[in-house]
Amino acid sequence: MSSSEPTLSVGGLSAAWDGAPVLRSVSFDVGSGELVVLLGPNGSGKTTLLRCLAGLEPITAGRVRLEGRDLARVPPHRRGIALMFQEPALFSHRTVFENIAYAPLLQRRRRAEVDDEVSRLVDLLRLGGLEDRDPETLSGGERQKVALARTLAARPRVVLLDEPFASIDVEGKAELRAEFRHALRASGTSAVHVTHDREEGFFLGDRVGLLFDGALETWGPPADVFATPRTPRAARFLGYNVLPGPAGPVAVLPSELAADPSPAAPRPWTVVAAGTVGREGLVILRGPANERVEWRVPEPFEPPSMGTPVALTWVRSRPLRP
Amino acid sequence: MRRSAGEWALFAPILAFVTLFALLPVAFLFATSLSGAGGWGGLGALLADPLNRQAVGNSLLQGGLSAGLAVALGYPAGVFVGRYLWPGRSVVRSVLLVPFLLPSLVVVLGVEDLFGTAGLLSGRIPEASFFGSGVPGIVLVNLVFNLPLVVLLTATGCEVASRDLEETVATLGGSPARAYRDTWGRPTWVGAAAGGFLTFLFSALSFAPPILLCGARCYTVEARIWSLDTVLLDPSGAGVLALAMVVLFVAPSLAYLLLARRLRPSGGRRESGARPLPRRSLGVGLLAAETVVVLGGVALVLGAVLYRTVAPYGHQGAGAAWGTLFAPSTAARLGIGIPGALANTLLFAVAAAGIAVLLVVPAAFSALRGARAGTGLGLLLFAPLLVSPVVLAFALATFWRPLLGGESAVWALVIVSQAMLALPFALQTLTIPLSGLSPEARESAQTLGAPRFAAFLDADLPRARQGLLTAGLLAFALGLGEFTATFFLVTPRYTTLPVALYGLVNSRQLPLADAAAGLLLLLSLAVFLGLSFGGRRVEL
Repeated sequence: MSSSEPTLSVGGLSAAWDGAPVLRSVSFDVGSGELVVLLGPNGSGKTTLLRCLAGLEPITAGRVRLEGRDLARVPPHRRGIALMFQEPALFSHRTVFENIAYAPLLQRRRRAEVDDEVSRLVDLLRLGGLEDRDPETLSGGERQKVALARTLAARPRVVLLDEPFASIDVEGKAELRAEFRHALRASGTSAVHVTHDREEGFFLGDRVGLLFDGALETWGPPADVFATPRTPRAARFLGYNVLPGPAGPVAVLPSELAADPSPAAPRPWTVVAAGTVGREGLVILRGPANERVEWRVPEPFEPPSMGTPVALTWVRSRPLRP
Repeated sequence: MRRSAGEWALFAPILAFVTLFALLPVAFLFATSLSGAGGWGGLGALLADPLNRQAVGNSLLQGGLSAGLAVALGYPAGVFVGRYLWPGRSVVRSVLLVPFLLPSLVVVLGVEDLFGTAGLLSGRIPEASFFGSGVPGIVLVNLVFNLPLVVLLTATGCEVASRDLEETVATLGGSPARAYRDTWGRPTWVGAAAGGFLTFLFSALSFAPPILLCGARCYTVEARIWSLDTVLLDPSGAGVLALAMVVLFVAPSLAYLLLARRLRPSGGRRESGARPLPRRSLGVGLLAAETVVVLGGVALVLGAVLYRTVAPYGHQGAGAAWGTLFAPSTAARLGIGIPGALANTLLFAVAAAGIAVLLVVPAAFSALRGARAGTGLGLLLFAPLLVSPVVLAFALATFWRPLLGGESAVWALVIVSQAMLALPFALQTLTIPLSGLSPEARESAQTLGAPRFAAFLDADLPRARQGLLTAGLLAFALGLGEFTATFFLVTPRYTTLPVALYGLVNSRQLPLADAAAGLLLLLSLAVFLGLSFGGRRVEL
């Protein structure tokens, strides 16, 4: 592999189920030790993309290269790409230690080396004291950590993570995200993480992509991806309001809206709900074409009555491709 | 979870039923037989009897051979059916139940039609007559009857395997062989082993095949018990041999039960990891070919019966046997006309199914509330199968017939025995879909003021109506085909179609027997269609 060669290179990848396209010419690279996140709503093709990269689903076009090697004819178990599912899929008849030691033993590493590897990963993921437990006795978060430890113990070139925090509670999720990022960084493994949770994506990703209807729409550093939505659906997915601007639709953050003080301004927006969220007000409005707008109002906030007509203006907007 | 007294009371009907009509009569039978045979010393003397020892040996030989061959032949087909998606798979999966719903007599007849004297195959290839009688014929019947069960249970094993775990192993570097060994292979072995033990039990306790295809030298323990009681008029000897049989077969029965429980999906949901057929895979091609050969063989035997019902036979024209079957001469020979036998069959089966459904609904509710209670109940309900249909009928006749008074009790005892034999399968078929239901609807009903059982009836049972209907249809189908216990109990007035079929086969009226078997086969197929409609699923 040349120094500029990405660890994983995906080019023009397409896949179909029963003739219906699921992935449409997806291309992106993952550098060494890089953690990339693909964000997209349910049904956008995220899981299928990971399964194609792992060799578990056939592709109809395109290529997947790992360190320059074309993986077209390489079966899943020889790819060096490990997939971690939404559910941890642990061996229920093996202890935590045996689960983590599974791949090293498969690779016929020496026993002492296996023990060291498992101990290192147990420490890294703070699983100490659980080594002899059965997976059924662990919490959801602990099971996911064991699954990650088992994955990293295989020393794959790339780890694929399919919404691993989807069934974890909010409090546990934040901690687990940080631990996963730390463990992946420490092991130097490249990773592709897919999720529909944009906060998770922007927290974890070195680079982020937005996947809609099987096509990668935006790709880049998280701050850039968030700051410059290109299309109305990308803007909505990222939490923007899509409003009619003078030269076409524009994206406006809920906190960038304000009431238009001009008495002559038309009032096309109608309040449908209003309340307080933490220390700010939240107002939901509907426009003339039934479009939904979310408006976050700083303190002091006096909730308007339902049905009140409102004139809106905004302090900043980003032009969108129609 | 702590149970209220009311919930325990829901167990009462099924416990009372099994106690009154299985445990108590069987215990009474064993006690009186032991006493009549001179106590435990009599048991030793009875087991020293060469004919009894031969019967035990025959049971072990026929059961072992049948189980070994059924697993060897059924395992690859089970993997193909359970693991891969192919056109017609769900239909084939449903059709696999048909032999299980038939009396073994129909299969005996099919084997005779193919391999017996002037059989469809042995008439052209004389060497094929090897399979028409004796131990090879008996084992062939056992295979046709049980091999589909091994296929089904192996396929079920495939369906409880976690596809995620298998794919995880692949992406961790495990080869397909390793993934088989560490993940999806294990449940398939469990399924095949459960099928093997079930085949062993059904074959070692088979009744009609050794009597009709071989005679006394091939009698299993079950046939020997019947012979001791009804031919040699030694009920004490029969009872003591039955006790020995229970002791002999308790281990394989428990093994089957424990293995079958491991095939139950957690939360009532199967992973259903079936995947599309891979292109150009030699291994899968071989699996497909083996499946076609094995299931084709089963279909050939059953098809021979249907063919004989319409084919010209001797100098008679096509379908002539149907006319004779309903003629007064047949009624005179059997002591009952075929319409009467058919009416008895349907009546008994409907009543048995009704009892089974009424008993399994509260039992399923109670079993759902606690895994231990469910396991205990499963073991309890399996007891009548462990003691075998002949012993159950023998015990019912010994204990209840004097109390109820002669022939008037026969119909009731037949219904009770058929319901008893259907209970474990009906309970399993209802409990698994029930355990897969989300509890929210039931809990909502409870928070709205419904007591637990009322909430179960209002919220859970309607959602599991397919399971309930399947349990009822299965109990009905098992009643339709039940031969052994019914044969032991009935008088001519209450003769059922399977018992009439036995009379026709035994008197070598083969064209008439084929027509009667064809009638049974068509009835079973109709029930099978009811079972498979809407994707209903029977749990073994």
